[in-house]
Amino acid sequence: MLEKFQAYLKERLAITDEQAKEATSCLKTKTIKKGAILLSPGDLRSDNYFINEGLLRYFSIDEKGKEHIIQFAPENWLLSDRNSSVFNEPSVFYIDAIENTEVLIVPSHFFVDIQKLLPHILELNIRMLHNSIRFMQKRINMLLSATAEERYLDFIKLYPNLTLRVPQWMIASYLGITPESLSRVRKDLAKKHFK
Amino acid sequence: MPTTFKKVAAILNPTAPHMVGDGFRVHNFFPSGYKIKMDPFYLLDYNAKLEFSPSNTPRGVGVHPHRGFETVTIAYHGAVAHHDSAGNSGVIYPGDVQWMTAASGILHKEYHEENYSKKGGPFQMVQLWVNLPAKHKMTAPKYQSVTHREMASFELPNHEGKIEVIAGNYNGVKGSASTFTEIELYNLRLKAGAKAHLETPAHFNTALLVIEGSIAVNGNEKATTNQLVHFAHEGNAITIEASEDAVVLYLSGDPINEPIAQYGPFLMNKPEELQQAIEDYNTGKFGYLEE
Repeated sequence: MLEKFQAYLKERLAITDEQAKEATSCLKTKTIKKGAILLSPGDLRSDNYFINEGLLRYFSIDEKGKEHIIQFAPENWLLSDRNSSVFNEPSVFYIDAIENTEVLIVPSHFFVDIQKLLPHILELNIRMLHNSIRFMQKRINMLLSATAEERYLDFIKLYPNLTLRVPQWMIASYLGITPESLSRVRKDLAKKHFK
Repeated sequence: MPTTFKKVAAILNPTAPHMVGDGFRVHNFFPSGYKIKMDPFYLLDYNAKLEFSPSNTPRGVGVHPHRGFETVTIAYHGAVAHHDSAGNSGVIYPGDVQWMTAASGILHKEYHEENYSKKGGPFQMVQLWVNLPAKHKMTAPKYQSVTHREMASFELPNHEGKIEVIAGNYNGVKGSASTFTEIELYNLRLKAGAKAHLETPAHFNTALLVIEGSIAVNGNEKATTNQLVHFAHEGNAITIEASEDAVVLYLSGDPINEPIAQYGPFLMNKPEELQQAIEDYNTGKFGYLEE
């Protein structure tokens, strides 16, 4: 199952099918059962996960046992714990599988190793990094300043089908609101739009 | 039209079960279980008879949407309470059928009925997804309840049992459920040794699900509890002989033969209609239903 990642690279780099095939030939896939934990606080991982099929969740658990979802990673997303994969420090987060999932394991050194074959891969990696920062900046701003409805409307733009794939409480956790607030938001939207 | 036996294409065992929510442990016969032609029936989930332990919190499936088709729930054991965003609610008891036309969009939830849940006991249900032709996919949702007490039925001679007609027409006995395309849906309740004759056009997609007991089909094809008999597009007559007391669900329908685009609970013709369904669901256009 390398085709999706090959397509991902081809969309972002001007490369041939052969280059994409050669570049990814060393990568391995891993299947994760729904509910299985891939990363826990204290772990060190140098891997990034490219999601072929399924859905991963990146989250923390506070002292009271409450979960806080930082990110969902459905198909075609790359997920990594930078703390451990880049800085070699123990992770403070969890990654688990919300659905049965198949990932491609992309080691952090992949982007360096593959430079000879794909000269623009580092530029792509930097661009993806900037995109990730941009995403996080927007997310922080939404959490600080946006209403629950604005956060929800932003969420469904980014992740349109996750409302069908994850329970309400997880969406509420991602949005930083209570499940009751999310219900209110959805009820208000229905009042406005249901004919 | 000369009568020839409708050829049995395959006798299929139930596939490995999966949970739908925490209240339904279903074997999917199609479309993921077996790749068989059953249009206009898109999906058949079968909760084979299973004992649920008592629970004060009813098990089931929370609020979820549907668009573009109809869900038909047929109860054999246990009881299911349902609520939808059009304000309909009710309980499906053994022998009852709920025919919900989701069409343009509905939210609903299905849970074990409270008293059943508290007592626990055997549970056995079928859920069918019946596709709608493109021109009816966006009609208004509706709900038909066909209770066992009111169900039209054809009595077989010599007290050999009966054929309950949910939809369609058996020997002049008309099922009360209205359908958008031609569909025959019956529960055959047969005593050991009883013989039933069915006729359906050769091109109709047709199957039998043995809910209880065992039967011989067209004389020599044997099928037993939890097996699905799938018919080929050859011949138009079926005989069913009960080897022991049997309950058999018969489904036969005129294929719609339109393109299919499906994602989760939406069944449309084109991918862009699925995108629209997701957007409409997310923005409240299906209405609201409390969890």
